[in-house]
Amino acid sequence: MTTPAQEFLRSAATKSADLRHRQILRHSIDTYNTSAAQGQARFLDWQAARRRAQAIKWEAVNHLDKYLLQFEVRVKERGGHVFWAENGEQAQKYIVDLAAARNVRTVVKSKSMVAEEIDLTPALEHKGIKVWETDLGEFIVQLRDEPPYHIVTPAIHLSRKEIAALFKEKLGGIDTDDPEKLVAAARVALRRAFFSAEMGISGVNFLVADAGMIALTTNEGNGRLGTSLPRIHVALTGIEKVIPRLEDLAVLWPVLSTAGTGQAVTCYNTLVGGPRTKDEPDGPEEFHVVLLDNGRSELLADAEQRDVLHCIRCGACLNACPVYRSVGGHTYGTTYQGPIGSVLTPHLRGLHEFQHLSYASSLCGGCTEVCPVKIDLHHHLLHNRRNAVKAHQRSWKERIGFRLYRWTMLHPSWLALAGRLGRHAIRVTHALGLGGSALDPLRAWTKDRNPPPIPARSFRSLWKERRGAD
Amino acid sequence: MEQTENPAREHILQRIRKALSAPAEHPSTPTDERLFAPVSEILERFEAECAGNHTECVLTTDSWATAQAVAEVLRSTPAGEVFMQDAPSLRRLAANLADRTIHWSSNGRPSEEVQATVTLAEALVAQTGSIFVSSACGGRAATVAAPVHVVVANRAQLVPDLQTLFAQVSHDDNMLKNSMLCLTTGSSRTGDIEKILVLGAHGPRRLVVVLQEE
Amino acid sequence: MARVALFIPCFVDQLSPQIGLDTAEVLRRAGYEVDFPKAQTCCGQPAFNTGYWNDARPLAARFVRVFRSYEAVVSPSGSCTTMVRNFYPELLAGTSSHGDAVDLGKRVFELSEFLIKVAHRTGLSAEFPHRVAYHDACHALRELGLKQEPRELLRHVQGLHLVEMPYSEDCCGFGGTFATKFHMISAAMGNSKAANAEKVSAEYITSTDPSCLMHIEGILRRRNSPVRTIHISAILATRVGTGVAPSRLSESEGAKRQESDREAIESQELTNAPGGQQ
Repeated sequence: MTTPAQEFLRSAATKSADLRHRQILRHSIDTYNTSAAQGQARFLDWQAARRRAQAIKWEAVNHLDKYLLQFEVRVKERGGHVFWAENGEQAQKYIVDLAAARNVRTVVKSKSMVAEEIDLTPALEHKGIKVWETDLGEFIVQLRDEPPYHIVTPAIHLSRKEIAALFKEKLGGIDTDDPEKLVAAARVALRRAFFSAEMGISGVNFLVADAGMIALTTNEGNGRLGTSLPRIHVALTGIEKVIPRLEDLAVLWPVLSTAGTGQAVTCYNTLVGGPRTKDEPDGPEEFHVVLLDNGRSELLADAEQRDVLHCIRCGACLNACPVYRSVGGHTYGTTYQGPIGSVLTPHLRGLHEFQHLSYASSLCGGCTEVCPVKIDLHHHLLHNRRNAVKAHQRSWKERIGFRLYRWTMLHPSWLALAGRLGRHAIRVTHALGLGGSALDPLRAWTKDRNPPPIPARSFRSLWKERRGAD
Repeated sequence: MEQTENPAREHILQRIRKALSAPAEHPSTPTDERLFAPVSEILERFEAECAGNHTECVLTTDSWATAQAVAEVLRSTPAGEVFMQDAPSLRRLAANLADRTIHWSSNGRPSEEVQATVTLAEALVAQTGSIFVSSACGGRAATVAAPVHVVVANRAQLVPDLQTLFAQVSHDDNMLKNSMLCLTTGSSRTGDIEKILVLGAHGPRRLVVVLQEE
Repeated sequence: MARVALFIPCFVDQLSPQIGLDTAEVLRRAGYEVDFPKAQTCCGQPAFNTGYWNDARPLAARFVRVFRSYEAVVSPSGSCTTMVRNFYPELLAGTSSHGDAVDLGKRVFELSEFLIKVAHRTGLSAEFPHRVAYHDACHALRELGLKQEPRELLRHVQGLHLVEMPYSEDCCGFGGTFATKFHMISAAMGNSKAANAEKVSAEYITSTDPSCLMHIEGILRRRNSPVRTIHISAILATRVGTGVAPSRLSESEGAKRQESDREAIESQELTNAPGGQQ
């Protein structure tokens, strides 16, 4: 059985070599970059907006208990239910039991990373409940029976031809790759589900503490229909999504949209608080908010990396990441991908098993540069690496290697000697035609690159001589 | 499903409190920086933003012109149900729509085959060219279920920006009693296929704001 | 005459000594006396970046001691400069070296940064009549904030045609041990970089960082590309009229060149104001 690290390497090797895949991702990300630049230009100072968004999330996360309790009180005042779940199993059980108790046969679901995190859909389907993914990108990957490729654009890796073929096979009655017609076909297929489902499950973008409402940011209208038509609405969220005030949305809605898609604001920014009131003509009769911990309170305790919980799941860091661009979303093998995934997953699922994600980075800093809430992403990758070493989770070969490196570097004469011997060894093995073999000290380098020419003398040796010539 | 006991709640709160006993560095950034340029020409800005996000904006001078504008839009929609928010001003307006079957919100939600909905709005936002609706505007489905959504509004409802909108809403107890509020900006859309913009996903393909002078 | 200390990265010392020689030449031409504190070894970045902070820490403390008495420390590497300026304070937090590390951070510079911001020199009588694309090395760009400085220097090189390649800010894929641990991703990123340079028909890719260039050069040679890499110090060290950096000359020619340079600089000193603004 392969470990996640081995699986990552295997998948990375395949995807890195796939030029067509790189071109598709590059094109999508270029489109995003153009829009994002336009979106940022709408602010007087995008950097000021980032600072403000960071300040709001800092306040929320660093007073998490206070704001979660305020949110809970307000939701209950509105007639809603709040369920606290320590882990995925508890959250899953609550929702599955609720569906069973209410005779739910069909669920319409709008985008929720947390639902992915806890494997909710398979658990519901296991009970014979049909689950419809209503976000178009999620709908597409659901038809393909694969996980989302990107947290904002789940089908970013597919061409329209591939989607056309998929719809032709799975939906029938359609034979075109015209995006408008494909979207219309999805609309028809899902409309029946919206009007007949007994339960709508949504994610949450923000939990608004002072109003006791959840905020949902979408473009398609699927979130609106799914939280309006079914008689039960379940909102699933991580505990870190809380914000203090309704007015904070005047900042966070535009910031999220700009970073997520480049739009000023998305089409539907919805606030839901409780089931329908008695004066309202429609709306769910029941409203449940499931607050999931699942490792977040542990991350909260890490004051150095607490700001990782500021994440508003915009996806900007994925788009900025050259590693993501090379290997795509599925290679990570985890719910959260790209830089945020590489920082977060070791915390949520274990440093020992997932440290490789924090090592699979050149630390270019592109992610930190674009994060709209100013999470110190690439430095946290370094912190995770340091933590892995501290917890003795690295190979003994590597540990000894760096011990030797340290001893050598503490003594210039040892460095000079080691350098001379090393250069000599490389030149000899290459002269003997053993370059690229197991005896070649540069083997790890030369798999994909030519070796650098090895000089006869070091700088310090040449410098000593030239100075001596004075 | 009442949970009388949810021990997880106490566990989580305890863990949170313990976690927060270690302070994290405050970013110490100025909190008074202005993020957006002030909106001066409110109507012009609203119209320009609507043009950009595919909201059709029709200016009218009086209720007669408004009724005509609404009738005009509905004439271009296929025969079938028109769902309307049951409000006195819309009841009066409906007198001009004798040729359509109107389903009023007081009789329940729109049907699956609804062709158009007509509602009021709570406010309009110039900064983003948005309409702000609530579940009081004919319910939740009324403002999203049909391929065409017509909003009847007046100029006094225009606010310059989101900051102003929220300042008002936060202090409006009646507004906050609604179980749903929504800032709607343009027609529903998706970019999920090759990042190509397609208008008209699950929400309305056409959003029309009829904006009356007074 | 003002003195600067050379901070020569360990791998430059052992694998690319000419970069060190060219850097010294450039600083001399800018009017500085150049020292090489031979006690230096490595700033500790390889250990630090791999998470071995306990192994990096004594090297950092040692480094701070070695360079303590110099007013300015100049390095032909953005990533090594970043290590000292941006990461030493965190690495040495809580130790007796912390204060000295913070202070050293103010005195350490990448070469192009030093030339523009401290020496205020843009022209160095260099000549390099080729089509050159500049690669924005990640640390120099995002940690040190250098974007225009290297380009400004290149624009003053006679005959040099500076072209911008697409996605010049994209990481080249070196990233230290990432280059071997995740070699397939590293190579994919390097090949993208190479393709972008080929797209604008660059003859050379240059940058502030020798580690990037070693990786990109390896990729270019493997794909038989017409493009070559050259460190910015080598370009700046060329001489109007020869196009060749002194370090690339034979030993005796180099010694003769050094002698005439020293004379030229000394005579300059008598006629120009200090700092030699061009």
